[in-house]
Parts: sequence; structure tokens; C-alpha cells
Amino acid sequence: MNITAQHWSMDPMLQAVILFWVPVAMLPLGVWISQSSKRQGQVKFGRVVSLVGILMVCASPWTVPSSPSTDAGHLLGSIIGPCMMMVIGMYLIAFSGNVPVGKLPQSDRRLGFLLAAAGFSWLAGMHWWILTPQLSPGVVNPYWYVFWPTFLLLTSCLASFSATALLLIGDERKTEASLMYGLSGVSLLMMLVGLNLDGPEMSSEEFRIHLGLATADLLGILLGCLLSILAFASVIFLYERSLPKPQTVAPPSNDELEFAASVIANHIGGEEE
Amino acid sequence: MSASNSSFNWRVMILALILPPLLLVALDLTLFGNVPSVAMPEINPRIANATLTAYTLCSLVLLGNLFFYGESRNRPLAPLVGMVAAVSLGVLATIFFIGQGSMLLENNGSVRAQAVYNVVHTLVSTGAIILAVLVAVGSTFSSITAQKNRSFFDDEQE
Repeated sequence: MNITAQHWSMDPMLQAVILFWVPVAMLPLGVWISQSSKRQGQVKFGRVVSLVGILMVCASPWTVPSSPSTDAGHLLGSIIGPCMMMVIGMYLIAFSGNVPVGKLPQSDRRLGFLLAAAGFSWLAGMHWWILTPQLSPGVVNPYWYVFWPTFLLLTSCLASFSATALLLIGDERKTEASLMYGLSGVSLLMMLVGLNLDGPEMSSEEFRIHLGLATADLLGILLGCLLSILAFASVIFLYERSLPKPQTVAPPSNDELEFAASVIANHIGGEEE
Repeated sequence: MSASNSSFNWRVMILALILPPLLLVALDLTLFGNVPSVAMPEINPRIANATLTAYTLCSLVLLGNLFFYGESRNRPLAPLVGMVAAVSLGVLATIFFIGQGSMLLENNGSVRAQAVYNVVHTLVSTGAIILAVLVAVGSTFSSITAQKNRSFFDDEQE
């Protein structure tokens, strides 16, 4: 993807804020609006806000070429195609199988396999072939080194977790567990090969360093999220504890008990034939 | 399922979660003789930066969630203030620790550049995490629905 700078007579910092950071913020904001609204119009508005945000982030390498952060926008534009293919493919495969509701035609299964395999091959081609996201010839997008090892490592871990859960909790799920161990093994194999063989644009040494950093990233993100959830739980706990106890209701009087007994008596028993 | 059995299952599943990286190191060492050279000067700042940034961003998301919580509680201000304080703590801690010199600065010249890099880096990692979760959950669901229909009850004997 060749990037030709668009020149604006605007302060570069302001340009980055308006054309990159505001669209980045529009993504979660749109999701929030669409999820929290009950009116159909507001739900649609939220989706449009998110979509415009995604488009503007993808366009940011052209609109804000001076900001290094827009490399993330370049990566998003490069990987959104294969990622969507994989997700849609998974959806088609899953819902063309034995599902009680929302079953898709059997022919969608083949299309789903095709899409998922093509999406995964496209991503693999970014490591092993000439499809690597490059900012300019020979300059690999630095965030690709963040995305790819993190994705492979976590896919392998989650697939292994899922397979073991199917075996231990599921009932006669050996076939499904084998498939999931297979997926974990494929990801593991891709990492092992990446650690020892150079790709056209990504050397094994670079992959080794970034796989280590991806592990550190995952550990850090896990720790940060746990701390944040702990802070959130503490805030809620302290607030709920500070609330006065709800007033206890006086016990029912004899009249009320008699009324309740008569209502219950009218609703039990049934007529004898 | 008894409590001890459930606890055992969870332990095995967590072991399965961390097994692939351990297996990768073992295979790499055995087959190719590569001793893992963990560069702590690079790994430590990454863990610290990822922790601080993930804490701040996740707190922001949870702050947004408080609006949903508030709907059932007459919109109280106290938890909102508490969570804003938690987010502010994350931002201030990030600025403070990055400002302590070269400890947390990864190839960036200033606190602002490092903070912005941290946010973008975490967003990219989050994208990879979301895709990995979608692939794992999607594959699990696909493998389950790919099997033939199973009957959960034995046919009644005539």
C-alpha cells in the first residue's frame, strides 16, 4: 500500500487529534450509543458513528502522514479484509451445522470453510509471502510485529484451553477436542517455524524478539485488567455498603393473612369430575 | 460434579492455557537447540507499560459501564466519582513512572510520545486478542455444531 502524503495547513498535533484520535474514540462511542439506546434511530446512529470512525482510522495514513500513530490505521486497513473473512467464515460454518434456531443452508458450510481458510492463509501470507503490511517498500509496519505474534500465541493458548474444557466438562466431545487441539497445534507449529525460518520481510530473530514482547504484553494486559476490575468492584462495594439498610416491612395483619388464605384457597384443588 | 473435582478441572484447564508457550520453548530447545534469550531490559518495561495502559483503558470502559449500573440506582454520583478517581490514578501513575527517566521509555523521546505509543500499542494488542478469542470461540462452536444430532434421552421402552 503506497502512502502519498496529503498536506494540510494545520498544526500536526491538531491534525492528529482531529483525523486520528477523534475517529479512534468514535469507535467505542458508537458501540456504546448503539448498545445503550432502545430507539432504533439511535442504534443506527451509533453504528454509523462506529463505521465512520473505522473508515477515518483506515484513511489516517493518508490524512495524517506525519503522525507515527497512524501506522495502526495502516495495519487496520491491511488486516481488516482477512479478519472479516475469517469471522464471517466461522459464522457460516457454525450456523450451517446442527443448530436449533437460525440454521443456514448446508451450502454455506463450504463457503464458510473457503472464507475462513482464505482469511487465515492471507494472514499467514503476510508473514511467509509478499503480503506483509509495508509502509514503504522494505519498511514493515511496526504494529504488524505486535499483532501477529500476539494473535498466534493467544489462539494456540485459547484453543488448548477450549479442547481441554471440552474433554473435562463436555460429554463425549473427543472429536471436537481433537479439532481444537489441532488448531492449537497449527498455531504452535507456525510459531515454531517462525522462530527458526526467515520470512521474506520478517526474520526469525525479529519474530523471536516480538514473540517475547507479545508474551509480556499479554501478561501486562491481564494484570492491568484485573487491577482495573478490582478497583471497579471496590468502588461498587464501598458505595453499596454506605447505603442505608432497606426498611423492613411490618408483618401481615390477621385480616391480610385471611385474605391471602382465601385467594390461595380459590386457586388450589381443582374441580372433581 | 463435586467441589474437589471442579477445582481439579479448573487447574487442568489453566495448565492447558499456559501449556503452548511452555511447549514452544521445549520444542525450540529440543529440535533446534535455541536457548530462550529473554531480554529483561526490553521485557520489563513492556509488562509495566502494558499493565499501566490496560489498567487505564479498562477503567475507562468500566466507567462507561457505571452508566448502566446507575440506571438501576437513581444515578448516584459517588461510584462515578470513585471510578473517575481510579482512571485519574492510572493516568497519573503512567505519567509519573514514564517520567522517571529511561526506565519505561521504549525508543521514545518524551513522556507524551511514550504514553501515546502505549495506547496505540495496547489497542493493536487488544485487536489481536479479540480476533484470537473470536477464532477460538468460533472454532469451538463450529466443531460442536458440525457433529450429528445427539439424543439426550433414552427412548422409552415400549
